[in-house]
Amino acid sequence: MSVFEGFKFRKVSSVIHNLDPRVKFFFVCILFVMAIMFNQFLALVVLFFIPLPFVFMARVNRQWLRSLRGAALLAVFIFATNFIFGYFYPSSSIPHVDGAIDTSMEYFALFERAAAMTLRFVVLIASFSVFFLTTSPDHLGLALQQSHVPYEFCFAFTTAVRFVPVLADEAQTIMDAQKARGLELESGNFIKRVRNYIPILIPLIVNAIRRSLELAEAMESRAWGASDKRTNLYKLNLKRADITMVLITVLMLIIALYIWLFIPVPSLTSLLFT
Amino acid sequence: MAIIETKDLTYTYPGATTPSIQDVSVTINKGDFVILTGPSGCGKTTLCRTFNGLVPHFYNGTLEGEITVSGLKVADHKIHELARHVGLVFQNPENQLFALSVEKDVAFGLENSAMPRDEMRKRVDWALQMAGISELSERPPHELSGGQQQRVAIASVLSMQPDIMVLDEPTSFLDPVGAEKIFKVINELNKKLGITIILVEHRLDLAAKYANKVIVMNEGTVALTGTPREIFTSEKARLIGVGIPKATKLYQHLKRQGVTLKTVPVTTEETANLLLEMLNHD
Repeated sequence: MSVFEGFKFRKVSSVIHNLDPRVKFFFVCILFVMAIMFNQFLALVVLFFIPLPFVFMARVNRQWLRSLRGAALLAVFIFATNFIFGYFYPSSSIPHVDGAIDTSMEYFALFERAAAMTLRFVVLIASFSVFFLTTSPDHLGLALQQSHVPYEFCFAFTTAVRFVPVLADEAQTIMDAQKARGLELESGNFIKRVRNYIPILIPLIVNAIRRSLELAEAMESRAWGASDKRTNLYKLNLKRADITMVLITVLMLIIALYIWLFIPVPSLTSLLFT
Repeated sequence: MAIIETKDLTYTYPGATTPSIQDVSVTINKGDFVILTGPSGCGKTTLCRTFNGLVPHFYNGTLEGEITVSGLKVADHKIHELARHVGLVFQNPENQLFALSVEKDVAFGLENSAMPRDEMRKRVDWALQMAGISELSERPPHELSGGQQQRVAIASVLSMQPDIMVLDEPTSFLDPVGAEKIFKVINELNKKLGITIILVEHRLDLAAKYANKVIVMNEGTVALTGTPREIFTSEKARLIGVGIPKATKLYQHLKRQGVTLKTVPVTTEETANLLLEMLNHD
């Protein structure tokens, strides 16, 4: 099932993969903050290039591009919305332009503005996908746990991830079985097609409930809840690479704050038309 | 020395009208390798669940009679206390592994019991080695074959160093080769570490040779107990529908034809040797 393909984490080892997930999350959050801070096209272009070295170091370029492609439709939508709204309400959303939009410069400014908003979204996708592509769910669960998230939630999270491929297999089996009994999935109008999936969903849900009961039994049998002070086989330790990464991130934030406060970022329009 | 002792054990699941097990009185000694068998729905699984307190603590319902496991009265102790003494391995390997790597799964029980990390690491490595899956330690469980998964389940129970290991049809999802490996592993645990084994099994051809005791259940009660040879040759076992090994069936067939082998065989090799011996003798 290709839908679930994206959730499967492949074990790869690289400097970026081995970074502490908390550090990576910090980095991504700072990028997020920076993308919100700036609304100039040129600044956002620079922000877009920041995650690139990490993508190449982690050797996940192909998957990363795929996730960007996945966001393309939404990006087009955001661009169109911004463009149209900017056209009808020009004064509020476009700087340096007064009155109705009619000159080429004003059109260009409008275009730049819409592109910047779209790029902001793309920067968010680009940085968060680096995080999710290079962090194993196991590590993520561990990071949650060491951040004092209650263990029950961490356990629920890792177990859910562990059962995604199992449920995907099961859904495929049920689909094959129902098709073998004459169920047609790809026929009729939209509502009919959705209804076609009911005979797939019911056994899937029933099986999942039954499975969860068995899981609960197995957990109980292995001393679940025996002690309040649960220990963990693994522990996340900040290594030198992690500290370097934190420093880079903090430095980035300082530079960004400085620019934000003291240096006005020029717009492309003002550079080209004046 | 009895490690499990039940006396007139009767249990009814909540909402059920008839008890699933009725007046079950069995004694299992330390170091025994017991095969628990009987037709489907005869209460084998329910009996296994009473050994570590899933019945009655997890399933509720009404439990009458007495059961003592490793000196602990099941009714008075929580499941996680009993879990240190009794390890349960279930039928479906997929539904008893919840972590994203094998070693994390093996560590699960130890983590719950708040064991220090260094000691835990040693125990995990030891359990993996005993189950013969050291090389799989970092793999995600869903990528493994059924047989490997079941060995992970065994290792994850073993890491708790239980006195008793209960395996509820551990091989029903496996092919014969995978099943044979499982039996070898549990036999080693029994012979080398002295862990008491209770194995629920339908197909006795492969498992019978390791056991020193067989309990046959039927319709919620214990129908027969005895050594494998006693049980496999009894008429009652045949009528209940116990999966008597083919080797023993051959012995009985020969006996009816007037050929009596010296002892009752339970494995093919034994039969072959007995037959060879007899042929050479003549």
